[in-house]
Amino acid sequence: MSITLDQVTKHYAGAPVVNDVSLDIGDGEFFVLLGPSGSGKSTLLRAIAGLSGVDHGRIALHGRDVTHVAARKRGVGLVFQNYALFRHMTVAENIEFALRVRHMRAGARRQRRQELLRLVALEGMDQRLPAQLSGGQQQRVAVARALAHKPEVLLLDEPFGALDAKIREELRRTIRQVQRELGITTVLVTHDQEEAFAMADRIGVMNLGRLLEMGAPHDLYSRPATRFVATFLGAANLILARRTPDGIQMGANTVAAAERSADVEEREVVAVVRPEEVEVAASREALSSGYLARGVVAEVVFTGALESLRVRLENGVQAPLLAQPDGAAGASLLVTRTQHEQRGFEIHPGQDVAIGVRRVHVLPTPLSSFTACAASPALADALSRQPLLAELAVRMKTRIAMRAEPQLGVPEAACAADGPFVGTTALASQTDCAHRAEWLLRRGAQDLLVLPEHAAVPQRVLIHWMGEGSRSATLAVSASVLRHLSAEAVYVGIFPQQSARVRAQHGMRDLLDARSEAQLAHGLEMRTELRFGDVAQELALRLAEAPAQMLIVGVTDLTRFAERFRGLLDGGQWPMLIVYRGSP
Amino acid sequence: MSFRQPSVLPGFGLTFGFTTFFLSAIVLLPLAALALAAASLHWSDFVHVVLSPRALGSYRLSFGASFLAAAINLVFGLIIAWTLVRYEFPGRGLIDALIDMPFALPTAVSGIALTTVFAHNGWIGRYLEPWGVKVAYTWVGVTLALTLISMPFAVRAVQPALLEVQRDLEEAAETLGAGRIYVFRRIILPAVLPALLTGFTLAFARALGEYGSVIFIAGNLPMKTEITPLLIVIHLEEFDYHGAAALGVVMLGFSFVVLLAINLLQAWGRRRHVRAAH
Repeated sequence: MSITLDQVTKHYAGAPVVNDVSLDIGDGEFFVLLGPSGSGKSTLLRAIAGLSGVDHGRIALHGRDVTHVAARKRGVGLVFQNYALFRHMTVAENIEFALRVRHMRAGARRQRRQELLRLVALEGMDQRLPAQLSGGQQQRVAVARALAHKPEVLLLDEPFGALDAKIREELRRTIRQVQRELGITTVLVTHDQEEAFAMADRIGVMNLGRLLEMGAPHDLYSRPATRFVATFLGAANLILARRTPDGIQMGANTVAAAERSADVEEREVVAVVRPEEVEVAASREALSSGYLARGVVAEVVFTGALESLRVRLENGVQAPLLAQPDGAAGASLLVTRTQHEQRGFEIHPGQDVAIGVRRVHVLPTPLSSFTACAASPALADALSRQPLLAELAVRMKTRIAMRAEPQLGVPEAACAADGPFVGTTALASQTDCAHRAEWLLRRGAQDLLVLPEHAAVPQRVLIHWMGEGSRSATLAVSASVLRHLSAEAVYVGIFPQQSARVRAQHGMRDLLDARSEAQLAHGLEMRTELRFGDVAQELALRLAEAPAQMLIVGVTDLTRFAERFRGLLDGGQWPMLIVYRGSP
Repeated sequence: MSFRQPSVLPGFGLTFGFTTFFLSAIVLLPLAALALAAASLHWSDFVHVVLSPRALGSYRLSFGASFLAAAINLVFGLIIAWTLVRYEFPGRGLIDALIDMPFALPTAVSGIALTTVFAHNGWIGRYLEPWGVKVAYTWVGVTLALTLISMPFAVRAVQPALLEVQRDLEEAAETLGAGRIYVFRRIILPAVLPALLTGFTLAFARALGEYGSVIFIAGNLPMKTEITPLLIVIHLEEFDYHGAAALGVVMLGFSFVVLLAINLLQAWGRRRHVRAAH
């Protein structure tokens, strides 16, 4: 491996900017770090270059641990967005800078310079000053300068940001060509998904300091695992649907899913439909794909090669739509059509059309939507405005439904509301909360979010499960929650006090297993801690250690649930997410 | 030259007129009067006044101490400006404001304060005395006073230039393998050199004209610790206006030559850059 990052973490003013990032980049690979501004991608690149230190974790280049090695001894080449050329030096002096530092002889320097200038197609520009070159030429000089000392790794920090579209494309091609010719491992940071697609062997998408997903451009685009990647890599319609044995049920109609899933349990899921996978036709019969609903064309925008439509859904699927790529409210689908499709069926605003879906991809996330549950509609409404819940819903681009259960917590009473519990159920933390939680879990709520009135977005999330049956589900839920928080994840393993000595070794292995499963199956990086004693007591102690913490706990057995968790739940200060997976 | 050039201020003609008028009324006219007063002196008298041993001694002190003060400020001004620009620390605003204090203080006050501290029984002078170091009433004291009053010029000239040196440039040099000293020598220094020279020039010019603070700490021994401005005042007190004017003209001439030389040096540096480009 050329570049190996292991749990790299960097804090600024207490908040993690880079959060537990682990990553392997192979020899000669062109890796693109993609993310919105403030996602931590540039900080991560600077950490690899050695320009900023890390608070936790290790960085290795070609098997050499460089975590504490100064930038000038790392042997990397770095290209900045604003070129950072030495303005008082000529092109030749700029390129030879690294060679001069290394006391290379003048003849050898000149030869290397000529080589590099040829590589970036700037022959004969040796004696110019940077100010006399165009932006694109300056960036070429910067690339040549960064390659002069034959670094093992080339790092590019938004190198095309300051250039106009045409030059950008040309320079992209040059850099890709140079990279192939030299076979140099390259990391490029960008916020431009098109650029990432065009250049990358592999893309890593970052948000809120976390590396969310990694993969080949096509795989990431067609099979994203997270809402963020689905909407950040190109436009996407996110739809709350229901997975049934027959396929993906959206509103009244069922469409076949793009891929078979091992998880066959019937539940609410988040479906991704790319705008180009939506078909519009005059009638249901004219569709060549699975029929979804009828709709009215709200907007037609001509964008050159493609035509972009917004279609308001008329029947069947209404509220279920979550994210609109441009943030517009209302249940409307984004559709793009090629010239060919446009010629086949002309469309005008206001037209009534039948909508079909060619391909549906289902996100593996277990958190689809929220349902605020309370004893009365007014209380449920108040709960839906709880700051943490509201913030999570916004970040997850999902809805908060309301459910009133007047008998909430009354033993033996049945559910008043119709239908099963959908998505994650939210419950206010108050006296008798433990009983209410148990009541809900016994009546079909699987994921239960218990919220103190003023709890805000946490900075650390503690994860624990009781019973192996809930491990996988707890990890999946934790991964999903943590993707939307800029928080540190800590797995707390707890063993009974009396067996401390016997279980210590065993416990360590459990921790490592948990960590690697979280990493492999859910892309979640977490710290691990081992404690001995009573579970609820130890968790309460750990929570009391610092403010702004949240607890995610996996449960397989509800016997004595209320009794055991009374201390944590009744009037608790901390938000707590209970993941219940009863053993069959 | 065309007087029709579009700009925010009304009319090139008008502003150009103001410029020449003000320069003439405030700078050129008094200087001309000075030259005229000196010209009314007979040539041999003129030479006698400006080349007297006492006058020569005062030139040496005035120009030497001013040059030294400017040189000291060149180094320490850069360090102070660097600290203020590059680091965040509590009280930075306060220190930044303190830099300008020598501007605001009446120069006589600075002179008296310095003398109090550095006299043989002063706060610091007391401890220097046993070592044989005398500050007050020697050329060292003169240099010290001149350093104090010209310090803001050096700092304020370099500060904006340092702000302009982007962190990126240093980081780029670092990733290319350069050590700290190399980065300073090859990247930072060339970028701030013109500003440093400007700061030096301003500090030198200011020190040369200084009078108030120096006379308290200098002791004013003829030939030894007497600066040229003081000699001029002495001539005036003896109602020897022409002699004073003659010394003034010499100083003016010297200063002009020095300032011109530094300006030419800067212009040459700039031209060299541009030429290297072609």
